[in-house]
Amino acid sequence: MSNFIQNIGKKSPWLYRINAGSCNGCDVELATTALIPRYDVERLGCKYCGSPNHADIVLITGPVTAGVKEKVMRVYDEIPDPKVVVAVGICPISGGLFRDSYAIESTLDAFIPVDVNVPGCPPRPQAIIDGVAKAIEIWKERL
Amino acid sequence: MSSFLKIAFENLLKGPSTDKYPFGETFVPEKLRGKIKHNPDACMACHMCEHVCAGGAIHIEEAKDGSGINFVVWHNTCCFCGLCEHYCPTGAIHLTNDYHTAHLNKDKYNYIEKSFIKYVPCSRCGKPMVPLVPEMIEKVYGSEGDTKGLTKLCEECRRKTILKRGMFK
Amino acid sequence: MSITKLAFNMLIFPGGLFAVVISLLLMGIDRKIYARLQRRVGPPIYQPFIDVIKLLQKEILVPRSANFIVFRLAPLLGFIGMLVAVVIIPISGVYPGIDKSADLLVLLYLLSTPALAIMIGASASGSPYSAIGLSREMMVTIAYEIPLLIVLLTIAMKTGMAGGNFADFSLNHIVSFQQQNGSLIFNITMLPALLAYLCCIPGTIGVVPFDMPEAETEIAEGPTLEYSGSGLAMLNLTGGLKVVVISALAVALFFPSTLGGFWLVNLLWFILKCIILVTLSITVVRATRARMRMDQAFKFYLIVPTGLALVSLVLTLLSGKF
Repeated sequence: MSNFIQNIGKKSPWLYRINAGSCNGCDVELATTALIPRYDVERLGCKYCGSPNHADIVLITGPVTAGVKEKVMRVYDEIPDPKVVVAVGICPISGGLFRDSYAIESTLDAFIPVDVNVPGCPPRPQAIIDGVAKAIEIWKERL
Repeated sequence: MSSFLKIAFENLLKGPSTDKYPFGETFVPEKLRGKIKHNPDACMACHMCEHVCAGGAIHIEEAKDGSGINFVVWHNTCCFCGLCEHYCPTGAIHLTNDYHTAHLNKDKYNYIEKSFIKYVPCSRCGKPMVPLVPEMIEKVYGSEGDTKGLTKLCEECRRKTILKRGMFK
Repeated sequence: MSITKLAFNMLIFPGGLFAVVISLLLMGIDRKIYARLQRRVGPPIYQPFIDVIKLLQKEILVPRSANFIVFRLAPLLGFIGMLVAVVIIPISGVYPGIDKSADLLVLLYLLSTPALAIMIGASASGSPYSAIGLSREMMVTIAYEIPLLIVLLTIAMKTGMAGGNFADFSLNHIVSFQQQNGSLIFNITMLPALLAYLCCIPGTIGVVPFDMPEAETEIAEGPTLEYSGSGLAMLNLTGGLKVVVISALAVALFFPSTLGGFWLVNLLWFILKCIILVTLSITVVRATRARMRMDQAFKFYLIVPTGLALVSLVLTLLSGKF
């Protein structure tokens, strides 16, 4: 029975985007993935929600700069369990092009547990949909 | 206001224009800048790509046992700018159009492209060297004259040979 | 009515299970048609069912500055109000409703309980975004209640004058008056009232162009910001039930015709009428309009639907006197 509920529940993950100091390139690609009819993400049951309290899968872009680090961790705590974190773009994975900057302490791994990486600068919308599909599989196990 | 209603009605008639991606094929342009592919037979380890790489993704180092050179690209910092392909003198590194880059975080440091350039001993003095690539001979010594024998000589021996023998006839 | 019949009505048909299933189905159809109007493949029609099941498995987070008891119990208020409201409305040919003399007035009071529930829940959340959403919700409620009241009064007066009284607020009498004299939708003096009612529907449900209380991009979902898990599921269900109540009320007030005597055929005809009404008044409007500002919405509600409803009221008074 619980397997059945897990299988049903995995068909409606709700996405929430956090911009941790990004240049907005990856954010434009994230907006493209949902709102353009060509890469419709609602077929998979996903929906972009406006509040972290409603979210299941978090998409984080941007290297975690010193000014925004505290706020990202507070918003991360607002998301109810079970949740999956996806790092979009090369900046949260390794600092990306800004890795020698004075404003970046460390990668996103050091603050919150990341589950799926989607490198690219910016990654293609099809690659982001790949990442979301992998995240849905991980999320189904945790439900 | 009626123009919006007309557009909405026409959309109903035209049907969805969604790309079929996770459930079907999608459009991939030929010159898309995707993951890096390295050809060790054409590489002479000049470190130009490492110098120019914007993300600091390329590392060229001599192997610990001295038998060759390791060439490593970490895809998680590569920003697909194409500068390495542009500046490589022999065309050993190029960007494919493979964009499937999503992976799990626990494989983060395994997501690399690695190749090994083996040293060959010089046929005159025996010192280990990177074999000279045919494209470089073309560029450096021109295509006339007897250049075939120069590929197996280290740079010292090459200089001495040309000085003594006078290759340019 | 006997207790078992009342319990059956409240919990299975037409309240409770039937209303919840129909509301989620209507929401699913709305989302699918909305996606097709934008040339997208939308989610499958049963998607809202999956949403509710998923929401029931999430953790519940309560903010530290919130009033715990009120925060948890506020969504229940709107849900129960809407469940009772569904029991009151008659479905012609299938279900007679509660046969009392003033149930239209009770329905008018019950129609504002979901908005009240959102307001109480938002103020118990203790967050500034919720406070902004709360004040906007209050203003929109005040704006759309005026034309709604005038439309209901007009229809009650039309029924009453035919029977000799001034106004008859019993839904059963309204339905039987239309079954004898032809549906009110074909009556030329009632057409402005129908248009006014259709203008009120998006404001009641909280859809674009009148969805500034829960504006996603401006105030991060407004009053429902701090809700997660089962509270959010109940708020979504309440929104869906409100769609059912509003469309069932429109069907009962304007076109309650039947297709013969068999109850299953009448039930399916009722559901089809609801689907058509929802498509025309909610989905097409949602796909072609943009969100209005607070003052623009207020001005719109005070001028256009109120004017149309007053035209109908005056015409009814004149035709009744002579």
